[in-house]
Amino acid sequence: MRFSFRLQIAAALVVAAVVPLAAALWLASRLAEENLALGLNPRLIEELQETPALYGDLFRARKELYAEQARTLAAELPGDPERAGRYLEAAVRRVPRLRRASFIAPDGAVLAEAEAEGPNPEGEWRAAQARAVLPSGEVLQCVFAIEARFFADLAEARELAQSYLGAGRLRRDIQKSYVAAFGALVALFAAAAAGAGLLLARRTTRRIADLMGAVRELARGNLAVQVEAGSGRDEVAGLARAFNAMVREVREGRDRIVYLEKISGWQEVARRLAHEIKNPLTPIQLAFQQLETRFRASPAAADPELGRLVSEASLVVREEIATLERLVGEFSAFARLPDVRPEPAELGAFVEEFLRSSPQVAGAADVDLRREGDCPVFLDRTLMRQVLGNLLRNAEEAARPARARVHLAVRPAGAQALLTVADQGPGIPPELRARVFDPYFTTRRDGTGLGLAIVRKIVLQHGGDVEARQPAGGGALLAVTLPLAPPGGPPPRGS
Amino acid sequence: MPSVRRAALAVTALLAAGAAQAPEAPFPGSLVVAQGRLQASLDLSAAFPREMERALRDGLAHVVTIHVSLVPGGGGPPLSAWAREIELSWDLWEERFDVTATDPEHPRGRALHFRDFAGLRAFLSEARQLDLGPAAPLGDQRWVMVVRVELDPVRELVDRTRELIRGQRPGQGPDGPPSVLGAMASYLLGGAGGEGQARFFRSRPFALHDGTLR
Repeated sequence: MRFSFRLQIAAALVVAAVVPLAAALWLASRLAEENLALGLNPRLIEELQETPALYGDLFRARKELYAEQARTLAAELPGDPERAGRYLEAAVRRVPRLRRASFIAPDGAVLAEAEAEGPNPEGEWRAAQARAVLPSGEVLQCVFAIEARFFADLAEARELAQSYLGAGRLRRDIQKSYVAAFGALVALFAAAAAGAGLLLARRTTRRIADLMGAVRELARGNLAVQVEAGSGRDEVAGLARAFNAMVREVREGRDRIVYLEKISGWQEVARRLAHEIKNPLTPIQLAFQQLETRFRASPAAADPELGRLVSEASLVVREEIATLERLVGEFSAFARLPDVRPEPAELGAFVEEFLRSSPQVAGAADVDLRREGDCPVFLDRTLMRQVLGNLLRNAEEAARPARARVHLAVRPAGAQALLTVADQGPGIPPELRARVFDPYFTTRRDGTGLGLAIVRKIVLQHGGDVEARQPAGGGALLAVTLPLAPPGGPPPRGS
Repeated sequence: MPSVRRAALAVTALLAAGAAQAPEAPFPGSLVVAQGRLQASLDLSAAFPREMERALRDGLAHVVTIHVSLVPGGGGPPLSAWAREIELSWDLWEERFDVTATDPEHPRGRALHFRDFAGLRAFLSEARQLDLGPAAPLGDQRWVMVVRVELDPVRELVDRTRELIRGQRPGQGPDGPPSVLGAMASYLLGGAGGEGQARFFRSRPFALHDGTLR
């Protein structure tokens, strides 16, 4: 059974989330148990349960105290209502918490009464009544203050005791519910983490799937395939970039091979053409020379009209034969391009040396050279001189009839050395840029279309390439790239 | 009160399911048919022993529930049910039992006060002429009267404890945000169950044609 990469990552995430969850649940259970044992200690609950009863004792004690105070007051209460009134007023001032005292006749009539003025010194209060019956039948009715806070405290203690009593009975259930709540929360977090992880994994697996698709496309021969590497710095992005570079390299390699094969074919054609053209040229030339010599010696030479005709024909034949010989020479040169024998060189210095040792260049064009940095390369000096010569000749011819102004520049560009040759001629139309390196393609009437083809073949054999670009200031720009030589390294692969 | 009746039906349905496991006790009541209606009278003093006084005088609030139902002798959902819920507490200042009893006859509850446990016990124990609905639906089938008496039902404890847990504000003082864990635990505690201090009384199976059940 095969599992997809995404499923494997999802499974790994689930395992990574579930294993700590199980451990966390066990720990949570222990923690809850220990906390509940501490918070719901049976002794504590028992004490809480007893607390309301303590208030009961307090209330009883207060009631007994107030009853005793009422009896004491009643024992000395004068029978005369007026004196009783003064007595009660003094008692209200003297006896703590006594708020009102009423001397009541057996028939219910109030004989004397006194009430405390001002607030109770102990704050809010509730009334606690105490009665003392006198032997004569009258009643001393007292209202004492009992602190209201006792009742509030009692209510709170009762609520607390009831809560903890109930919680104590449900201790196991509370523990279970806390563990379950903890588990649910952790599971929620784990699910969120797994979800986020899956999203991330999906992003990664999608990129890997894209890579796989691209590899399949490559296997089908599509060398134009590229994958989106993005701006990430992770391994997958690196892999995508490496893949793209590899495909680019393969494509360029294939293009080189195709081009070189094509050039080889054209070289063969050139060789045959040169051979086929060159062979009859000499007999034609000799035959015509013989014909001309016999004519000069013949009486017909006295005919001025005929003599002028023969002279003109002779001129045409010689010119055309010279053109054919030049063609044959170029075809032969193209057909017999030697193998590259690279040797270490500094490209800038090499170009400088070429210009210095080629006075004909300076005679035909204004050439300047700009060098930036070192560009150590491997090159075949003879062939690269031919490359430079062809490129400069191309620039000169493009500028005709004006004198050409050519700007050469050499600088490192990444892992390559870049040599640019820019002129101020009419430039190369975009649709022709890819074709200018094809053999026998030329836009000039007297051109053979071999100069740039030779350039490209030589450059390709050096492991580099050449392309036509459109410079910002107009004209044409041909850019030659050669691989920079690694320090102490071997010559480039293309050679 | 419809809600009390519905609650009673639900609880009694649960009881009916577990009635087989309930401890057997002599049935302390009778059932008569008066004017076509079933009337039960109960003496539940066995459920409120004198020793209970100390527990009820602790100053805390207590709840007593009494559920009466008629269930088929062969098992099944109850035909009728009656319930009374009594909230009581010993008033430590007034030194009396304050009682609020809610039942179908007093759906809004009635307040009562008892100076001593004897009076309270008499009130708790006696349930007379409880209307269990029309007699006709009983038919010829055999029925069992089940009485369930529970002191401080677990449901009450659970509700109170859920409130306690939900109110937890760990480490932030009383005005801090409530604990998410506490809120979830409170919610999950809602499923907690179990029997409290419940007593069951089951009559022998009877049919209407047997005459009065005693």
